Amino acid sequence: MTNKTPVLEIKNLCAGVASQEIIQNLSLTIYEGQVHAIMGPNGAGKSTLSHVLTGKPGYEISKGEVLFKGQDLAKLKIEDRANEGLFLIMQYPVEIAGVSFMTFLKHAINKKRAYQGLAPLSAPAFIKLVHEEADKLNISDDMLKRAVNVGFSGGEKKRMETLQMALLKPSLAILDEADSGLDIDALKVVSKGINDLNDGKRALLIITHHQDLLDYIEPDFVHVFANGHIIKTGDKTLAYELEAKGYTDFIKEASCKSC
Amino acid sequence: MQELLKNIVWLEDDNPVLFAWHQKGRAAFKEFPTKKTEAYKYTPVSEVLTPEMLNVKSHVKDDHCDHGAHHLPFDAYEFCFCDGHLHRHFHAGDDIEVLPIDEAVKTNEIGAYFAKIDLAQYPFAALNTAFLKEGLFIRIHKTPQKPIVFLYHNKNRGFKNIRNVIVADKGVKAEWIEMFEGKDEAYFLNIVNEIFVLNEAKLTHHKLQHEGEEAVHIALSDAHVKEGGQYQSYAFEKGGKLVRNETHVMLNQENASARVNAAYHLLRKCHIDTTTNIEHLSENTRSDQLVRGVIDDKGHGVFQGKIHIAPDAQKTEGYQIHKALLLSDEAKVDVKPELEIFADDVKCSHGATSGDLNQDEIFYLESRGIDETSARQVLVNAFLQAAFDDVENPDIKKLYPSD
Repeated sequence: MTNKTPVLEIKNLCAGVASQEIIQNLSLTIYEGQVHAIMGPNGAGKSTLSHVLTGKPGYEISKGEVLFKGQDLAKLKIEDRANEGLFLIMQYPVEIAGVSFMTFLKHAINKKRAYQGLAPLSAPAFIKLVHEEADKLNISDDMLKRAVNVGFSGGEKKRMETLQMALLKPSLAILDEADSGLDIDALKVVSKGINDLNDGKRALLIITHHQDLLDYIEPDFVHVFANGHIIKTGDKTLAYELEAKGYTDFIKEASCKSC
Repeated sequence: MQELLKNIVWLEDDNPVLFAWHQKGRAAFKEFPTKKTEAYKYTPVSEVLTPEMLNVKSHVKDDHCDHGAHHLPFDAYEFCFCDGHLHRHFHAGDDIEVLPIDEAVKTNEIGAYFAKIDLAQYPFAALNTAFLKEGLFIRIHKTPQKPIVFLYHNKNRGFKNIRNVIVADKGVKAEWIEMFEGKDEAYFLNIVNEIFVLNEAKLTHHKLQHEGEEAVHIALSDAHVKEGGQYQSYAFEKGGKLVRNETHVMLNQENASARVNAAYHLLRKCHIDTTTNIEHLSENTRSDQLVRGVIDDKGHGVFQGKIHIAPDAQKTEGYQIHKALLLSDEAKVDVKPELEIFADDVKCSHGATSGDLNQDEIFYLESRGIDETSARQVLVNAFLQAAFDDVENPDIKKLYPSD
């Protein structure tokens, strides 16, 4: 571990919506190249974690801190978090009528380039780049011309999320599957996209309550999440243990570390 | 209020034909509409006009027309108006016949196609007739090889009246684009277009209005559509202090159809009024209206949309929808849809919505690295462009907002 840099450091984090603390004294460190999975029952606060990390309006940090590549995440605007390399594969990507995927991708790519001090991509270079990545994910030209996520199936939406991730090459991708039903085909595509991306410099945080997902993306660490924090950490065998025993036994043993 | 009338210096042309029209217009023009005038209750023009704006002589005629100010990305028949004066050295092809309006009214040919507007109902058309002098008569004989473009440059204060007559002959397919640009001077542009779409003809009328910040712009397009004819109108309005864009379509014969789409984007204290009246006067006629407005700052949008279906106009379809985005607390919109249906076998609907930008959409764009200002701009353009989705000519489509 010593030669690696932490991508994400969560230290004694308390956070939530309005006055309600949902994340309670959470600590977690993720290094380059690692895959972490956070698993827990519904209502444990898993989705809140992804919202806090991406900066969704309404979610506040009350105590503790989150460092993203050494920077205080709370001080970064939503778009700067993205341009620094944080990417959330959304559980329910938003539909945006009237904006084609191509236009949306062009804005996203060129904003990131501008953030990095690079000139915008030329139109042909942009089109070539998008098509190269789209082909790998079986995304047709027609899908790229359509409005962002409008009328897309759940699986198509996930593929488009994966395409964005492939183009933006984040340092940390968060796959939020906290409560959605899993579509195995979509999952295969997404996990292939994620595995292709992981060149040892990128990290992945999977948030789920299904262990099925972990058959496709092998985690280095599995964390059991309850009462707003991690109650147990192990390797991927912990996921199978969870599958066999259910969450109840783990939660019983868990300490209460309220804020 | 009608003190304003005293400031008007009426035109008295030596030519007897013009003189007669001026007298007729003057007799029909009673007063400037006020809040109490039903058709203008949301747009009391008289409160904005000043004596200075009604001065027809406050600008000198300027023969130097800024042709070069516009670089159209396509080839077109171009006609230019500077401060309301037609630039009379123009080029026409053999597919279109072009005459200045003051010459055209002296000929027989225009007879059936001129002054078909009820001046009692349209006070500004009466006023326009009282100042009949500038404008174009265009008769499209054959489908033109390129679009017809009218450029209106307004540099100086004062009162400008323009009257155009466009006739699309039987079976012709044509595109006509009006582009308005102006400096921030107090001027009043009063324009009337009389449009005739003959049997099986299709005229697509585009309007890009970007007047100066102090301008009053009153426009009436009065269209008559014959059997199987199609009148398509697209307008994007984003300038002016007070603007009224009024479209009156008469679907006179069977299978005539109209598409009237508009979008407006209001900033500052800009006031833009979109008023439509589609009259279905025959069987199997169809109309579609889609209007979208984005209102920011202290802007005030107005939409008055009427669909009239005459007793004989069975199997008619008329649809209308107005959607507004209100982006500030002081933004305001007044919407008045009217359906007048006197036939029983018709399909007709109208709808209106207003709201703010969707916060989840903004967040999604931000979470992909797009800052809030850009995200809002992307969403505003996406909203507006829906009015221009159906524009068939890709070169022309590029003149409108796009994603």
